[in-house]
Amino acid sequence: MNRTLRPSVLGDLTLGVRLAVGGSRKSWVRLALQGVGIGLGVALLLFAASLPNVLDGRSDRVAGREMVTEGSGPAPLLVEDDFLAFRVDYIGGYYLNPRTPDAPVPPGVDRLPGDGEIFVSPALARLLAEPRGELLRPRFPQKVVGTIGQAGLENPSELQFYAGDTKIKDTSAGVYGWGVPHRRGGLDPMLWLLSVVGLVVLLFPVAVFVGVATRLAAAQRDRRLAALRLVGAAASRVRLIASGESLAGALAGLVVGFGIFFAVRPFVDRISIAELSAFPDEVMPTPVLTLTVIVAVPVLAVVTSLVAMRRTIIEPLGVVRDQKPVRRRLWWRLVPVAIGVALLVSQIGTFTRTEKPDEWPVVGGIVLLMLGIPVLLPWLVERVVFLVKGRTPALQLAVRRLQLDSGTAARVVGGVAVVLAGTVTLQMVLAGVEGEVQTREKKQSSFNYLTVTAKEGSDADGIAAALEKSRAVTALHRVEAAWGQVGTGGWVGLNIGPCAALTKQASIPDCRDGEVYAVRESTGRPAAQPGDVVTFRRSDAKWTVPPLEVVDAGSGTADLFVTPAAARGLVSSNSEFLAVLDSSVPDAVEHARNAIAGYTWQTYTYSPSGPYDGNEAERVFGVVRRALLTGSLLTLLVAAASLLVVALEQVRERRRPLAVMAASGVPRGTLARSLLWQNALPLAISTVVSLATGIGLGALVIRVFGAEVAFDWAGIGLITGIVVGLTFAVTALTLPSLRRATGALGLRTE
Amino acid sequence: MSLLRAEGLTKSFGRTHALDGAGITIREGEVVAVMGPSGSGKSTLLHCLAGILPPDSGTVHYRDHSGSDRELTSMNDGERSELRRTEFGFVFQFGQLVPELTCLENVALPLRLSGMKRKDAERAAKDWMARLEVDAVADQRPGETSGGQGQRVAVARALVTGPKVIFADEPTGALDSLNGERVMHLLTTAARETGAAVVLVTHEPRVAAYSDREVVVRDGRSRDVEFAR
Amino acid sequence: MSIGHALLGLLEGGPRHGYDLKRAYDERFGQDRPLHYGQVYSTLSRLLKNGFVTEAGVEAGDGPERKRYAITDAGVTDVERWLSTPEKPEPYLQNTLYAKVVLALLSGRSATEVLDAQRAAHLTTMRELTRRKADGDLADQLICDFALFHLEADLRWLELTAARLDQLAAEVAR
Ligand SMILES: Nc1ncnc2c1ncn2[C@@H]1O[C@H](COP(=O)(O)OP(=O)(O)OP(=O)(O)O)[C@@H](O)[C@H]1O
Ligand SMILES: [Mg+2]
Repeated sequence: MNRTLRPSVLGDLTLGVRLAVGGSRKSWVRLALQGVGIGLGVALLLFAASLPNVLDGRSDRVAGREMVTEGSGPAPLLVEDDFLAFRVDYIGGYYLNPRTPDAPVPPGVDRLPGDGEIFVSPALARLLAEPRGELLRPRFPQKVVGTIGQAGLENPSELQFYAGDTKIKDTSAGVYGWGVPHRRGGLDPMLWLLSVVGLVVLLFPVAVFVGVATRLAAAQRDRRLAALRLVGAAASRVRLIASGESLAGALAGLVVGFGIFFAVRPFVDRISIAELSAFPDEVMPTPVLTLTVIVAVPVLAVVTSLVAMRRTIIEPLGVVRDQKPVRRRLWWRLVPVAIGVALLVSQIGTFTRTEKPDEWPVVGGIVLLMLGIPVLLPWLVERVVFLVKGRTPALQLAVRRLQLDSGTAARVVGGVAVVLAGTVTLQMVLAGVEGEVQTREKKQSSFNYLTVTAKEGSDADGIAAALEKSRAVTALHRVEAAWGQVGTGGWVGLNIGPCAALTKQASIPDCRDGEVYAVRESTGRPAAQPGDVVTFRRSDAKWTVPPLEVVDAGSGTADLFVTPAAARGLVSSNSEFLAVLDSSVPDAVEHARNAIAGYTWQTYTYSPSGPYDGNEAERVFGVVRRALLTGSLLTLLVAAASLLVVALEQVRERRRPLAVMAASGVPRGTLARSLLWQNALPLAISTVVSLATGIGLGALVIRVFGAEVAFDWAGIGLITGIVVGLTFAVTALTLPSLRRATGALGLRTE
Repeated sequence: MSLLRAEGLTKSFGRTHALDGAGITIREGEVVAVMGPSGSGKSTLLHCLAGILPPDSGTVHYRDHSGSDRELTSMNDGERSELRRTEFGFVFQFGQLVPELTCLENVALPLRLSGMKRKDAERAAKDWMARLEVDAVADQRPGETSGGQGQRVAVARALVTGPKVIFADEPTGALDSLNGERVMHLLTTAARETGAAVVLVTHEPRVAAYSDREVVVRDGRSRDVEFAR
Repeated sequence: MSIGHALLGLLEGGPRHGYDLKRAYDERFGQDRPLHYGQVYSTLSRLLKNGFVTEAGVEAGDGPERKRYAITDAGVTDVERWLSTPEKPEPYLQNTLYAKVVLALLSGRSATEVLDAQRAAHLTTMRELTRRKADGDLADQLICDFALFHLEADLRWLELTAARLDQLAAEVAR
């Protein structure tokens, strides 16, 4: 034999792949399981990697339909943009009046709508056609002449229209073209926080599961590699061969992942939540992120398997002996947790409503704390398992098994624990933020009115008459509104009107002319104090806040309510109608709005019952919440799938000992219970750990953002219950394979 | 002249002194049976001799194919791995075959690890399998063979690199007498033909009878029993 | 089994008279076949003639036969040679081997060496048989196997005894 032949790196990798694929049915099954496990993660990652494209596309198109109002000469097109409120949705659109034949056509349509014609988005078309859109139809009497294409829509579920209307006069915006230079708006800090936590929580478990999936059948693999060591493969080459094996799984996972991604992609425009839906052709991971996924997944796979087998590598004797595992050490496992907590604590108090905190300490802290879970769990499981005494044979079997190898179990539940902790964190953050929003919503929904603001130069009398005629309206008041900034920088809204109008908008116990009332904010104080000087917008007039009375609940229209006698010296910015609604009429708000349907673009309406006109974060809040919870449920499902895959693999791996036990008369029930214990013990520990971490992390994150810590026990309980249920389900699903393993054929060694 | 010589080997596992000053000398081409009571340290001695397990103290000298003297305990892992791959062969009671590979691939494995081309490696492997009368199971996986066939495949794999020493730890431990003798006959015949020395750990006198001489291990100490020659 | 060597071995512990010797022998080795007085005295006189024992005085007493015998240096050498020479490996050696082991223990010699020497002798024979088997025809093989299995049984006994030497030493010393 030629001893000078140089062994090649490629040869070793190939050998590894060959070992992974193996040729036998079992190794194919294992590879398939790995492929699915990793593939699910890869698909999730690819969707996440498509986010930048989707978001860029959205802001591109939104910018593309902005009006260009500067130009020379008379504007070729007159436009009124409008936001129509319908129940909890806004319908956005433009009323257009071309004055020249070559007036600029907005994106998404091929011509301008003529008078009485309208182009609607597909979603709006659907809404109008459905029964639930019945009360909306009076506001769109125009003839639908087409739908708006992708270029004119932010997302596939957007409610949008272009309507032709020759009534629009010169006083409206003159438009010379469409599309303004691209401007990428930063996310609201609160939204940003939710997205960061959400992404970390969703993506981190994916990483964990990729790791877990590559460790499938680790014991068998270790034995195999020990055999290679014995015939003289050096440690470094065994690492290469093992890398080859992991690589095979990772590559299979990539293929499966891309498969799932492209299979699911065509359906993303069917998602009914507007903020989540996207145009399929846009759901395309950016090249850099795609490359990152393609590189990171195999690297992650190889690295986790190398790290996990660092003990096997030294021991060619693995063939002969089951080595007693080395005891795990604690200190370095605490490092990520400690650093994570320190990072987050250092950020407490840096957050304000308008300022983003430094992102890296926050993201880093969250990621490190999450990382701490799978790192700490093996140690903890090992410690606990050594303390447990086996009272029943089943428990004893499980405990002994875990004592010999608690790592696999701990790693598996580690993934579940991360999801659980993340979800709990999310629940807490959401509950904290939601607390604020909900109390306000509750207060506001007890008010039942509609304010109508008529644009300058519109037919105010006609609008008032139309409103008065509506059977949903019981009374109509005229109120004045003003916006200003107090010395400290905060904005205040004022509403000036008779007590009859003011008491409809806020719970003012006993309203007297000459008084000023201020609504208590969530901070406990009103937006302005007596003595504050308010500088009004537009007019720049100043007004000193007189002594005032603080009241509890407002409906969101204003912060200060001023009676006419107290309003001396106040310059209002605009006047509004306040229509008091008849609460016995269902959908009174929409009926009232329909009463002034003929004045659509000339009016702006507000109702405390929604849709929300407040802060963007609060408006989108419900959507984000739903999206994140859906995401964590999805991830949990992926987790459960992986857990099942691993549990099945474990039964297969331990086929022979199980078969021997069954053959020597150990009842199947005992074996099944020992399996359950084997899954349940680490799971119980991990649940405790992840709840603790989740709650701790949640509290920290909320503190960083300066909000109240609130506990959503119901949500936490629900998620915990789901996890426990999933474990039982997974154990139950492994029972058939246990039965097969303990059959007569199980005794045969591979 | 000695091929492999160990002196003053000690090895402890926790409080167990598995080896306590053991020594042994193996000459070129001889078959040495290592006997002794269970737990006396035979396997540990074999593992130390083969460079699988580093002893706590003591030396293991090996004269390699180029005639230079090499000390195993001071070699690094890579060197020992290479030595195992090129100069030694192993047969254990069970478990040394890679279950995923076919028998033929298993036998060809050490050659391929040394960088030989697949075709050449498998041709050489086929020859050896024929000599050990297991060419019939070449395309089966180890799990699909009988215990005796599996052990003969393992012997073929141990011999395929043309090793100078074959270490066998209870190679017939899981076999009946007929199959055990067949494995021993084929192993020793092949070893004598190729001039390989065999270090054979066994409990069975009839298996030990295939040796040229025996070494007895007791309480971690070994004694060459040679005067009967 | 050699009664002479056994008696010599017993005398190593100190001079005894004939009756004593018979009693000690019967106790240790003669469970199923006690010695006759005649055998004792004829053996002793042969040993006297060969110079392995000497008369060490006569004890005053009833009978005429109260002579005490002691082992000579030549006798010790002879015992040693006997102990260290393995028996020709053949079936049914237990009696002799057992006597050797006990006498080695009694005289403070290494019983392990006795057993190892015997193991080596057995193995040598077994090797020869194994070689013959390899070269021979089926009949040869079967005949060799018969012998091999018997020798193997002996060897197993040797190993078992070796493993229990400590226990045996304790009993012999009682
Ligand atoms: N990895 C290990 N960990 C702990 N103790 C060990 C280990 N390996 C060997 N021992 C101990 O060392 C001693 C010698 O073991 P060894 O396997 O060498 O004995 P052996 O002579 O081969 O026994 P057998 O004939 O039963 O195989 C035993 O007491 C054993 O318990
Ligand atoms: Mg052993």
